[in-house]
Amino acid sequence: MKSSQRNRQTAREAGLIACHFCHSLVKMPRQRQENTELHCPVCNSVLHSRIPYSLTKTSALLLAALFLYVPANILPIMTVIFQGAGQPDTIMQGVLHLLEGGMWPLALIVFVASIVVPILKLVVLSGLLISIRFQSQWNPVERTRLYRIMEFIGRWSMVDIFVIAILVALVQFGNTASIFPGLGALSFAAVVVLTMFAAHTFDPRLIWDNMHD
Amino acid sequence: MSSSSHCNSLTLRACPDCDLLQELPCSQAGHAIYCVRCGHLLKKTCHDSLNRSLAFALTGIFLFILANSFPFISLSALGIEQDSSLFSASWAFYQMDRPFLAILVLFTTIIFPLLSLIGMVIVLIAVKMKRIQRTLIAPLFRFLMSTDAWGMLEVFLLAVLVAVVKLGDMADIVIGVSMYAFIALIIVLTLLSLSLDPEDVWQELRKGVKQ
Repeated sequence: MKSSQRNRQTAREAGLIACHFCHSLVKMPRQRQENTELHCPVCNSVLHSRIPYSLTKTSALLLAALFLYVPANILPIMTVIFQGAGQPDTIMQGVLHLLEGGMWPLALIVFVASIVVPILKLVVLSGLLISIRFQSQWNPVERTRLYRIMEFIGRWSMVDIFVIAILVALVQFGNTASIFPGLGALSFAAVVVLTMFAAHTFDPRLIWDNMHD
Repeated sequence: MSSSSHCNSLTLRACPDCDLLQELPCSQAGHAIYCVRCGHLLKKTCHDSLNRSLAFALTGIFLFILANSFPFISLSALGIEQDSSLFSASWAFYQMDRPFLAILVLFTTIIFPLLSLIGMVIVLIAVKMKRIQRTLIAPLFRFLMSTDAWGMLEVFLLAVLVAVVKLGDMADIVIGVSMYAFIALIIVLTLLSLSLDPEDVWQELRKGVKQ
């Protein structure tokens, strides 16, 4: 940490708005009419001190993801037809097949990407929302770090969707061997996309706004 | 308040994660500056970052075209051969009546990676030539930064590995030319994201703006 610091003051307390995209600092006008948007002079994006309705948006997206999480794990993500007989596969069964084949490192990767990461995202985001709602004073550094980790790993859940895409494209040998995508894949992809959006609309600065030190 | 290019001056920044105002010292190449309160990476300085990034982005476009021109994997069983390119992965979903999945795969593996490479070249050339049309370049760079998480080629590479293992005992798998171009592309993309600090580009775009 090499940063010098004059006084511990946030941009908002200093009457400044930091652009969400280019991080330019802009003076907040003293009197602002309602319904007028303030634009960043550098990148022309609409300026907000905090993401508007961040908690509401994140909660809505998170709730939708929670609902879809159930069919994503119960419904088959793909159906494998081998010599005329079809066998549906859920996410967990896919992991178990890899394990049976003796591929435990790969089984572990898929297990983490498809099972652990989505659960972690749902739990961490819910926890962060609740902690802000109840003005928790618990370690804000750790909470911010949790948020950053969650935002970083979220995209890796897409690995299962891509595996299905490749298998469906490759394995088309009629009745002998064919693979078809299932509804579980659709729900799972929706969960990944919704949680990515939820993490994106969450404003970590709200964690710090609640701290009274 | 406007940032200056002189290295003896301090730049005032607000941390994007906790909003704390702090003055950033001018850092030397290879150094990184973190927020004093929450630990967010505020600035990293790489030696010759714009030139290197431009080189990586141009290499990336070349490799991207190569990776998309040929099948990257083919499967032979029962005397029939099936091959798959990047595009056919999303096309397969479309044919199976899963348009949402098809669009998702198409955007995350082809459209966003390609747009970000082309956009990056345009932005970096504009910055290097000092001919910055801010009304054009700034929104373009903003778009690139906000869609960064949606280019998922490295996740796709992991998926290829998983698929190969799953099919390994079922049929013969032949790795195509595109696979090597694809792996090289992932390496170049990683180097690109390591060498470029978006703050360097924003600093150039901020020049001449009164705040």
